[in-house]
Amino acid sequence: MIRLENVSKVYKGSVVALRDISTDIQKEEFVFLVGSSGSGKSTFIKMLLKEEEPSEGTIYVAGKDIGQLPRWRVPYLRRNIGCVFQDFKLLANKSVRENVAFALEVIGRPKHIINQRVPAIIELVGLTEKLNSLPHELSGGEQQRVCIARAMVNRPPILLADEPTGNLDPSTSADIMNLLERLNESGTTVLIATHDHAVVDRSRKRVIELDGGKLVRDQVRGVYGIG
Amino acid sequence: MALRVNYFVDETVSNLRRNVLLTLAAVSTVSISLLLLGVVMVGGEVLTKMVSSWEGKVELNVFLRDEATPEEVAAIKTQTTGMPEVEEVFFESKEQAFEEYKRMFKDSPAITENVDPNALPASYRIKLKDPNQAEPVASRLQGQPGVDEVQFGGEAMKRLLKFTGVVRTILVIAIVLTLGAAVLLIANTIRLGIYARRKEIGIMKLVGATNWFIRVPFIFEGTVQAALGALVASALIYAGKVFGLDRMQDAILFLPLTVSSGSIIRMFFTLLLIGIVIGVFGSTLALRRFLEV
Repeated sequence: MIRLENVSKVYKGSVVALRDISTDIQKEEFVFLVGSSGSGKSTFIKMLLKEEEPSEGTIYVAGKDIGQLPRWRVPYLRRNIGCVFQDFKLLANKSVRENVAFALEVIGRPKHIINQRVPAIIELVGLTEKLNSLPHELSGGEQQRVCIARAMVNRPPILLADEPTGNLDPSTSADIMNLLERLNESGTTVLIATHDHAVVDRSRKRVIELDGGKLVRDQVRGVYGIG
Repeated sequence: MALRVNYFVDETVSNLRRNVLLTLAAVSTVSISLLLLGVVMVGGEVLTKMVSSWEGKVELNVFLRDEATPEEVAAIKTQTTGMPEVEEVFFESKEQAFEEYKRMFKDSPAITENVDPNALPASYRIKLKDPNQAEPVASRLQGQPGVDEVQFGGEAMKRLLKFTGVVRTILVIAIVLTLGAAVLLIANTIRLGIYARRKEIGIMKLVGATNWFIRVPFIFEGTVQAALGALVASALIYAGKVFGLDRMQDAILFLPLTVSSGSIIRMFFTLLLIGIVIGVFGSTLALRRFLEV
């Protein structure tokens, strides 16, 4: 589903963010991308979304070399990748329902599809009672659920999460991870960048570790620390 | 496509309503910028009319010798009407000149009674296409057989023409400056509005909205704001015409002070067009920075 071949990224001023990364993430896998701040996790994620271009190497998403993708096709690449963030990135002046519907509206989905899918996905993340609440009326965990609903409402085959539990307490984090695992079981490829030890250790999923831009570990049922 | 148009219209209306303050700020900025431009345009029209009415009064008087033969008189007529600079030629006979003279001094019969109707010369009055050509035309006619004297405003007219030239130049500069100011002000307001919603744009990009899909509601909004701004500006200018210029015109009859309602309507469409063009280009330019993700 996602393949990197000898990918390096050097930012202006010769800051090396990633060095010669090669890895392959299969369809329906659940993968943690771990490493301390500055290890290159964010660059990794940004390159999958084509927010950044690799300086060297090739990236395949869903079998396509995204380096060959013309600019105008980038939005269509992004429709295949749902994104979840540490800071949720919800629109403060839109309700839960509107925030989720927004993701479908802006890619031009017709109203009857929106009216059908939005309540369904909100039910899946367990927020039916908060349908018309505004983001500031929700707890952090609830906001993250909205963010996940928004990422998934378009049914993308891939879900990227950048520190999804970074702002949440441990028990809320566990809830969010359960939700992500459920989405994975229903067929979504999930890639989570995190430095949350507890979350990684509890799940026992594949772990890819970056350190100073290099891939130092790729373990099938890993934990956060060297195990 | 019908669905998308619906989305764009809904989105435009709800964004305008949701950001009432921003919308108000934008509309009033556009109004003020266009008002300035409109005032300069109307002022320019009044001034231009005044200036052309002065210039239109500039005439050449070719006084004919009493002993000029009819052939000589006819020859002058043919020569002058053939000149490319000449707009129109009127003949004024001795009798017409006397009538005119009597009319000018009708309140002082003593002056007219003492004048012999034959004392006034017949003349050609020549209207020029461009008053600046008065001097060369006059010197060509001077000394022709049958011509006694050629008169034109001379120094006074030169000064008048210099003045009207300066007025026109100042007008052009003023229009360019106010237009430039309007462009900057409106573009800046648009940029503020877009900046206020950069988060929304970022999310639209992330969930895979195409650039055009993001751009269109902003362009619609810019257009609506520009239209409202042009309407407000034109209404204020119309009020200025009715309560200001028209009243002044009633008081000062000898100057063409006012503008027609028709030219206010023309100005409204000009302002509307300028506002929309700036709105569309301004939002497209301002969005470019935010769309490059």
